[in-house]
Amino acid sequence: MALSTHTTPTGFLLPSIHSAPPFFTQQPNPATQATVTEQWTKLILSYARFRRLFTLRVEDAETSGGDWDEVSRNPRINRRLLPSYLEYIISQLVAKGLAVYEPAKQTRSVQLYWRLPEEWAEVLHEWASSTGQLNTIMTFYEIVEPPLPSELSNLPISLLKKAIGILAKTARAQIIAVADGEGVRFLAGTSGR
Amino acid sequence: MILKSYTKLIDGTIPVQALLYDDEQLLGSQEGVGIYDGQQKSAHHQSGAIYVTTHRLFYYSNQSPHRYSFSFDLAHTTQTDYYAGLFTSSAKVTLHLRSLDDVADDEDDVTAGWECSVCSFRNPPGTSRNSQVCALCGVPRSDPTDTSPTSKSLPSSRSTTPFTSEVSCTACTYLNTASSKSCEICGTPLPGMHSGTAPPSPALKPISDYGPRLIRVSFRKGGDKSFYAILKRSLQGKAWEVKTGRYQAVKCPRSGHRFVASVHVFNFLRFTTVSDGLLRNAETSAQTSHSDMTESLKDLEAFMVKARDMVRLAQDLNERLSATTGPATSSSPHSSSLSSEPEEATFIRSSLSQLGLQMANAPVTLDMIKDERKWEEQLVQELADVIQDGDSGKGILRGRGIIGLDEVWGGWNRARGISLIPPSTFLTIVRQIKSHTLPPLDVRTFPNGLTVLHTPEFGEGAFSDRIVTLLAPEGGKTTSEIASFEDLGLGMTWELIQAVEQRGDIVRDEGGGGGGAWGEGAEVRWWANVFDGYIWDGHSFQDS
Repeated sequence: MALSTHTTPTGFLLPSIHSAPPFFTQQPNPATQATVTEQWTKLILSYARFRRLFTLRVEDAETSGGDWDEVSRNPRINRRLLPSYLEYIISQLVAKGLAVYEPAKQTRSVQLYWRLPEEWAEVLHEWASSTGQLNTIMTFYEIVEPPLPSELSNLPISLLKKAIGILAKTARAQIIAVADGEGVRFLAGTSGR
Repeated sequence: MILKSYTKLIDGTIPVQALLYDDEQLLGSQEGVGIYDGQQKSAHHQSGAIYVTTHRLFYYSNQSPHRYSFSFDLAHTTQTDYYAGLFTSSAKVTLHLRSLDDVADDEDDVTAGWECSVCSFRNPPGTSRNSQVCALCGVPRSDPTDTSPTSKSLPSSRSTTPFTSEVSCTACTYLNTASSKSCEICGTPLPGMHSGTAPPSPALKPISDYGPRLIRVSFRKGGDKSFYAILKRSLQGKAWEVKTGRYQAVKCPRSGHRFVASVHVFNFLRFTTVSDGLLRNAETSAQTSHSDMTESLKDLEAFMVKARDMVRLAQDLNERLSATTGPATSSSPHSSSLSSEPEEATFIRSSLSQLGLQMANAPVTLDMIKDERKWEEQLVQELADVIQDGDSGKGILRGRGIIGLDEVWGGWNRARGISLIPPSTFLTIVRQIKSHTLPPLDVRTFPNGLTVLHTPEFGEGAFSDRIVTLLAPEGGKTTSEIASFEDLGLGMTWELIQAVEQRGDIVRDEGGGGGGAWGEGAEVRWWANVFDGYIWDGHSFQDS
């Protein structure tokens, strides 16, 4: 049976593997499962990037109507991801450093790193310099809710803080206390790339 | 004197636990006590340990355990007092005693036990004083005077009744048992034979002459309060008294009717009917066992006749067949040792052919082949023949490519018929089968322990390749579909497929549809491994 790709209503091109029924079953063979986990990881991170999703929960496999329906279900072959399997995949994502449990100390919800904090730091610095925000003090809110939509729109504050922390280490940002919490000043510095 | 008449000497070197009656329990103990005999200190009982049980008090003397240790029946106690002690005076517990007349009974019964007049069972001592019923047959105890010959000299002249086991009725002259109060036949009261219940005339000087009837226990080393509490509990428990007034269901041994009777009626009925019933029971059971015995002996006789016939037949058979099959066996491949062939082998062989077990070769037994290695070789050859049976396809394999070891073993032994092969031997033999078979058979053990013999096409790689080609074009076959395709049993197929899965050549699909026809318990469908070598063909981003 030839497996074919499928374009979802949101415009995402699902890989052909998504229409293979075994894709939705946890494989007992560890070697096989490692391959499948890799493919799930790629799918989840691509979709997250495509839809700019930062959170994945086990609940997304339990109930329908969420952001992840197009990935966690395949009505064309009548398969869906079982919550137990999703929890396993999530744990693998965390193990590989591609996600962190958010909030910590539970295993049912993660923040996805479809860009690693280091990559976000670069994106952030580039955005600041390209929009002429260097040397000005900005609040976190101004960064994640910019008047002009940017790559940083809707970035979770916790992830933003991590990125700023990385920039601060290389002296390209400075965390400053402002009236309503914390702010940041980006400095020219030398690019890390 | 009070002490002397109410207590009994015991050997203080024996631990108290060894002196307890069957139904008696040790409740507590206290060291460092002294005993008052009446109002005076008892000179010999000033340092010892006291133990309280459900029935008795034990005093263990420290100075001279042999001579001054004693036991005291709590049944004598009427009342107790407790004195907490003042300055140098120790705490004391006083036991007020009833007069010995009220408790007239022989102590020897309690210590020595008694023998049942009906079943001769030796009842243990200590069964409560009033429950004079045999523990084995339930017959009430008859007058102790004529049933306790072991009793030592009686301390009091209790009963002057002459030794009579039967009493003649004044009205009808029926001989009643000595303990009956009235005639069993006509109900006429019997003359003065109530020896068991008649109060004995006390011959001893009344105890009251010696002052107040009391014994005191003085606690020199404390522990008095807890001891007194235990003593009180024991006295309230009255373990030495029988629970009278109970009602019991009684089954009449004659009519079989059940009715409820009070213990008194019950005891009376038992006495009159049970002894009779017991005798009759013994008679009938003896009769039945006798008839059973005769019958089984008859059977045995018949069986012996048959056995004799069998032996004669077998001997006859042996003689005749050794003559006829003698020349035939010389043509069999392993008859090199024919001349030295033991008699048993001949016998086995002849019985075999006689019973119609037509094998090309007679089964190889250890006594035919002396050399063990040669024997094994022969066995391997025999097994190979049994499994494949040349080209005829009639062997155990029956054209299949894979077969469980259990079936092989069963089939082989069925073919042998006699001198069965034990599993241990079978396992060593079966490992050598490969070189003797065509196509060569291999032994394979699955992870769950199932061991099979299989042709090369069921080897791990070959089977896996076949399954993958089967699955590749359409994908998604259930285990049963594969089983029917391969013409194998479901269990065997499952094992084989799991082995292929272990290799990573196939993957499973357990269903799990979103509320569709697929439930979570759906049958597993197998797919060729679609993940291996898969190249991402989904969404891609310009910069990655």
